[in-house]
Amino acid sequence: MNEGIARRAAAVAPSAAPSAFGQWWLHLDKLSWVWFLAIALLLFLVVNPLLRLLVVSFQQPDTGAFTLANYAAAYSRSRYLDALAKSLILGVSSASLCLLFGVPLAWAVSRTDMPGKGLIWVSILGTFIIPPYLGAVGWMLLAGPNAGWLNRLFIVLTSVDKGPFNIYSMTGLVLVTACYSFPYVFVFTKSALDLVSSEMEDAANILGCGNLRTTLSITLPLVLPAILAALILVFLEAIALFGSPALLALPGRFHVVTTQLWQFFEYPPKVGVASAYAMPLLCITIFLFWLQRRITHRKGYVSLTGKGGERRPIKLGGWKWPMLGYCLFVCTLSFFMPMVVICQAALAKAWGRGFSLDNLTLDNLYFTLFENTLTRNATINTFVYAGSAALIAVALALCVAYIVNRQLVGKNLGNVLSFLTMAPFVIPGIVLAIGFYAAYTRPPLLLYGTAWILILAFATRFLPIAYANTNAAIRSINPELEDAVRILGGTRFTAIQRVVAPLLKRSLAGAFILVFIPGTRELSSAIFLSSINTQVLSVLLFDKSDEGNFEMLAAIGLILVIITVAFILIGFRLMGRDFMLRRTAA
Amino acid sequence: MSPNTIRGFLALLSAALTIAAAPARAQMPAWEQQLYEAAKKEKQFTVYTAHYDTETIADLCMAFDKKYPGVKCNFVRTTAQVAFQRFQQDLQAKLAVASVFSSTDVSHYPDLKKRGLLMTYQPHNLARMVDSLKQYNDKDNDYWVTAAALVVIAYNNSLVSEKDAPKKWTDLLDPKWKDKVSIGHPAFSGYVGTWTVLMRKLYGWDYFEKLEKNKPQIGRSINDTVTMLNSKERWVAAGPEATTLLSRDKGNPLSVIYPTDGTLLMVSPTGIPKSAPAPNAAKLFVEFLLDKEAAEVQVKNHSLSVIKGIKPAVGAKPLEEIKVIRPTEEEITKGIPEVKEKFRDTFGV
Repeated sequence: MNEGIARRAAAVAPSAAPSAFGQWWLHLDKLSWVWFLAIALLLFLVVNPLLRLLVVSFQQPDTGAFTLANYAAAYSRSRYLDALAKSLILGVSSASLCLLFGVPLAWAVSRTDMPGKGLIWVSILGTFIIPPYLGAVGWMLLAGPNAGWLNRLFIVLTSVDKGPFNIYSMTGLVLVTACYSFPYVFVFTKSALDLVSSEMEDAANILGCGNLRTTLSITLPLVLPAILAALILVFLEAIALFGSPALLALPGRFHVVTTQLWQFFEYPPKVGVASAYAMPLLCITIFLFWLQRRITHRKGYVSLTGKGGERRPIKLGGWKWPMLGYCLFVCTLSFFMPMVVICQAALAKAWGRGFSLDNLTLDNLYFTLFENTLTRNATINTFVYAGSAALIAVALALCVAYIVNRQLVGKNLGNVLSFLTMAPFVIPGIVLAIGFYAAYTRPPLLLYGTAWILILAFATRFLPIAYANTNAAIRSINPELEDAVRILGGTRFTAIQRVVAPLLKRSLAGAFILVFIPGTRELSSAIFLSSINTQVLSVLLFDKSDEGNFEMLAAIGLILVIITVAFILIGFRLMGRDFMLRRTAA
Repeated sequence: MSPNTIRGFLALLSAALTIAAAPARAQMPAWEQQLYEAAKKEKQFTVYTAHYDTETIADLCMAFDKKYPGVKCNFVRTTAQVAFQRFQQDLQAKLAVASVFSSTDVSHYPDLKKRGLLMTYQPHNLARMVDSLKQYNDKDNDYWVTAAALVVIAYNNSLVSEKDAPKKWTDLLDPKWKDKVSIGHPAFSGYVGTWTVLMRKLYGWDYFEKLEKNKPQIGRSINDTVTMLNSKERWVAAGPEATTLLSRDKGNPLSVIYPTDGTLLMVSPTGIPKSAPAPNAAKLFVEFLLDKEAAEVQVKNHSLSVIKGIKPAVGAKPLEEIKVIRPTEEEITKGIPEVKEKFRDTFGV
């Protein structure tokens, strides 16, 4: 593989240099324009809305004069502070649970000979596609304290009079949040593990380490940057989530930051107070970045070098069945059980009547797909917008990750760029939407009412995912590969086009999917930015949950899941059949 | 063909069309015809509405398009707060979208009126309105009641027999309903907010102190109670008549009780923004909402008819036979922010 790249690098080196101008033109790094463009886009997508947010938090709503009253209002009540504390608990607990769920599964699927890998992979994909609030609704029916299916089962099995599960609690919320966030940890860890060659593990084995010790002290530390990045993402996602807390925390009688934020938007909306209240989230993001840098500072994580390596699955022996059991357990929690509930409702005439043959119908699905033009158009919009947003986000993230990692700009500017790219994740979608709205509904940039405002908002919102993924991928590529091209006379662009991009093809495809999926289920920003002709499924879903029409809600959710899974499987087909279970890097 | 022949042909054609359209036109009074002609020039208009679920407003728009071909009815259906937020956003961006604004939060209207954002218009069909609802129209003709609904006691009839079901609001305080009551949250739902104001007015805040002893399940929207009853997680609820009956129509095991101490009447006004891009179509739509076709669609979807002489849907009681009560507008506007705070103190969310 590495020889191939060297040959390609040699082939693209220029053979002759005609004139002085040609010389100058040849040596000018044309790529700097791309950097400028990337930075300008970041200003447009992230800095402007964020700045508006910061300004508003110090403004009096009527006069626009400077004031600290918003901060006083936001932090003067113990109830508000309590919600902040609850959000932190939620973030830390669900991130930890994600770690327990995601890392072992990623390791098992990526590095071992466990059976049933395809099934596990597809169920995790399915989990990732289920909108978290749809999953939360499913779990309400599974673990409702009075009539939840699990509780009823427990009562039948043990003949006590009350089941132990209560989804309307912090524990329940943590579980549901983790169930629909752990795929981030899984995908990040797996794609990093895919790049680690067996040689290092062999070395440890030769020196007398067992498989377990090798994994813990060699393999996992090598993918630490990916795990850390994913952990930060799931932590931020957990504290910025609105749907599940609104469904579970209110009946559980507590508030988190987002449900509290929502109340600041009640009539009359207190945007200033809301912005002030959102500031700790931004500070936490900054702190997490600093922490991540400290931990991964000065350690080498380059695992993909010009010297090719072989990847062999680790033989688990008798342990492969317990491992599969654990994987299935996690997938049952997150995918199989909630999907059974959703399918039952989507296929029922009246879901309150439970399972019976005469209660079955395809009408809900048929109506959603064919009879209702609103849902049909929304289905098309959803996938077009998510796809466009994913393309933009991945391209921009790749640029920034490359600039930062190859230190094409100063170190400080690099840090700022890196932070800006990650910052959107922590802004609750509703706040991002308001920022976007404030920034892009007046000339010269009239985007409201067009598809672009949704596409750009989605791209911005999931830019961090694309960035964390491309960043980890670029880090794992040894610069020596590009240096070879440069030494042989190729430009940086050539190096990227012919060496970096092919090597990253799969990581980029992964990043695309990771943005595409949350794009299809994004709710909080869409609710404010969509208009009549730009409806998307997530908003319709949310409307249904508000209308008490659970059969239709489940039908729309099921269609969203099925179409997305189909799209992604087709994508995999097109990219090569060994996409999921390949042994070598390229 | 000479130009004259063409002109003659066109004249003939238009005459033929006029004759064909005559029966429909003949039923239209002059004012309606005028509005319709003016609206046709505007081609289409958009309604921001929180009054109905998506199916009902889609049906209404379809009925409108059928009655007035050539004027296209678009709608954006959201919750009241979102509709209001969007409307304000549009104004700020100087991008008027909505020609009709229908919120369920009555406090939105005095505010819009005070800021001079609503158009004054006296609908001709106002005379058809049910008399008891007329008092809720704006006296200066800036907004009019176009939708009405009830908040009732709902229960799952596979768990609770009709005999045992609560008959009045205070029955929900009975200890036998401990862990079995479902309600919404006044900060998330205008219906629940108004209901909370009413309960406070009838029984004092004590009602909620006692209700808390029964540990009610608190959702967001009042419609969440329907989900809770269907899942059998809760048995009885202070719920919406329309959504509950719609769900029952599908075969779900739900029933409603009209409380003897008074069923809460919810009225929802509609206004036309001064910024309306299609003011004539908007006026025509308001007239349409106060007319027979719209009332029939609403009744079919279990909303109440706001005009006289429309038969109620099967299984729903006619409005005349129900004891309805409603706090005054002032009590509601002033009371909702107060009860939101008290609600949070009592229930902790």
